[in-house]
Amino acid sequence: MIRVKNPQDFWAGLLFIAFGAAALWFGRDFPVGTAMKMGPGYLPLYLSWGVVGIGAFVTLRALAIEGPAVEPSRIRPQVFILLAIVVFGLMIERFGLAPAVAVIALIASFASYEMKIIESLMLAAGLAAASILLFIYLLAQSMDPWAWNI
Amino acid sequence: MDVFQNLAAGFGAAATPWNLLFCLFGCLIGTLIGVLPGIGPIATIAMLLPITFGLDPLGALIMLAGIYYGAQYGGSTTAILMRLPGESSSVVTCIDGYQMALKGRAGSALAIAAGGSFFAGCVATVLIAAFAPILASFAEQFRSPEYFALMLFGLVAAVVLANGSVIKAVGMVILGLLFGLTGTESQSGMVRYTFGVPELYDGIDFVPLAMGLFGFAEIMTNLDRKEGARVLAAKIGSLLPTREELHRSMPAVLRGTTMGSLLGILPGGGAVMSSFAAYTLEKKLSKRPQEFGHGAVEGVAGPESANNAGAQTSFIPLLTLGIPSTPVMAIMVGAMTIQGIAPGTAIITDRPDLFWGMIASMWLGNLMLVIINLPMIGIWVRLLQVPYRLMFPCILVMCCVGAYSISSSTFLVTLMAGFALLGYVFAKLGCEAAPFLLGFVLGPLMEENFRRSMVLSFGDPSIFVVRPISATILVATLGLVLLIVLPQFRKTRDVAFQE
Repeated sequence: MIRVKNPQDFWAGLLFIAFGAAALWFGRDFPVGTAMKMGPGYLPLYLSWGVVGIGAFVTLRALAIEGPAVEPSRIRPQVFILLAIVVFGLMIERFGLAPAVAVIALIASFASYEMKIIESLMLAAGLAAASILLFIYLLAQSMDPWAWNI
Repeated sequence: MDVFQNLAAGFGAAATPWNLLFCLFGCLIGTLIGVLPGIGPIATIAMLLPITFGLDPLGALIMLAGIYYGAQYGGSTTAILMRLPGESSSVVTCIDGYQMALKGRAGSALAIAAGGSFFAGCVATVLIAAFAPILASFAEQFRSPEYFALMLFGLVAAVVLANGSVIKAVGMVILGLLFGLTGTESQSGMVRYTFGVPELYDGIDFVPLAMGLFGFAEIMTNLDRKEGARVLAAKIGSLLPTREELHRSMPAVLRGTTMGSLLGILPGGGAVMSSFAAYTLEKKLSKRPQEFGHGAVEGVAGPESANNAGAQTSFIPLLTLGIPSTPVMAIMVGAMTIQGIAPGTAIITDRPDLFWGMIASMWLGNLMLVIINLPMIGIWVRLLQVPYRLMFPCILVMCCVGAYSISSSTFLVTLMAGFALLGYVFAKLGCEAAPFLLGFVLGPLMEENFRRSMVLSFGDPSIFVVRPISATILVATLGLVLLIVLPQFRKTRDVAFQE
């Protein structure tokens, strides 16, 4: 049975291989050309193989040499942070700046295990007001403070 | 042209009320994020890029530069008082600075750190003023082969000086290069890796990439750890150093400044490397090496001067050659592009007001920083008590609204979420995002210069070795590569990063 001795490098290597393979696959139709007359596919081809090669090396080395483990992830903070960003993208044009900011500030504060609901509500309201002041009044960005385009 | 005349004009440009205000604002923000652990200058500058949209170019650059060197001042505060690096360039200051604080000499350590930084900042400003124009006029002979060689050198240096595994850093550079190729290819007009998304035709936008990889990934890894109240180690006490402390720190400041100025100019150098190198140097040269780790004042004076000198001189390659040598400088390229300025040799001749104004602002900024940091230290310490659970939603909101405001595109916001996840995975797997960012910025430039070189030589690759300057740079690059391979050097490099 093969044991992974360096989990960090093992997964990092696989990530490199995955990116390289994807770049090769999606770049398969680019004309490569020659070094003297480089086509648009020239650099992608060699860079992709380069990163695949490095990935393979790092992964194999991780089977032989001991290294650090991947620190355990907490699921809750990561989910709420990513959710907050995506929700902002969905809300900003439909509801405007203030509601979007307030909602994502609230969602984001759930990422912390120490959040207190009253405190978070106040922070959300404060950030909504501050972002209107900063982005719409001071920086004159063309954003609606409120909107209703569903 | 006279340097002093130019500098005077620069002071004229930098000392307008608005520019002074931008400078002060940048220094304040820089100090703030320097003091606060868990948010670095890369993320902050990326976060504020959208704000600089509405400013004039000089004001924008003055402010962003202020954030970078301001962070070097602020970082020492947290390092000395809490043994937490407020900034990665203050990691070594924790060692002896904190010990000094335990002995009741916190105030003196802070004063020496600020004083040393100020001295280093003044020297670095003069260095930039004196050497940047010379370097730029020299660089006017550069053509595509030289630029290609120089960028290659920069990337290799970034790999050598990256923290951690060399081979993974190479992988990250290549990955960054690949991401940089996204969009329309300049020669054939072919679109690459856009998956039919029109927002990607001009390439992946820099701002969501930098915010995601640095700002959000930072928040996400911080939240993985247990939050806890931050406690102050000691009272600040008197700010006045004793005569002996002064006597011992003076030479250390001089050495740190020299070291930082030199390493800052090198691609891949910058503030972090400078402070590590300065600490090692001080320990080696000291007559009392046993005191290091127990509150040796040289261990504060040297690195703190070095990181500020390094932060400032790392602007030299950017302002003279247009080549970003560190991730922070890569972001400055982003800022210049937003302002419609092409970084490169032409800045000094075409926009002297911009170049000299920025240099003058660095000196003014350093002066402001001493005042911001010493008498106002109490305010910053109180800010440290703001819990992280209130801080990160503010950062998140700033990033989201900022990314959206650049192009009013919700796609960029979603893209940012993708890069946040990617940056988090990178951090978990011990892959440094800094080489990735450099690869991303330099990728398209390198492709362009390589192609032009080939056109210049009618397809003969020997053009890179026939031209003396490009050959010299390539030899230096090869030397760097050999350095990595040599086991001796690897050992010292590992030791340097462990300390």
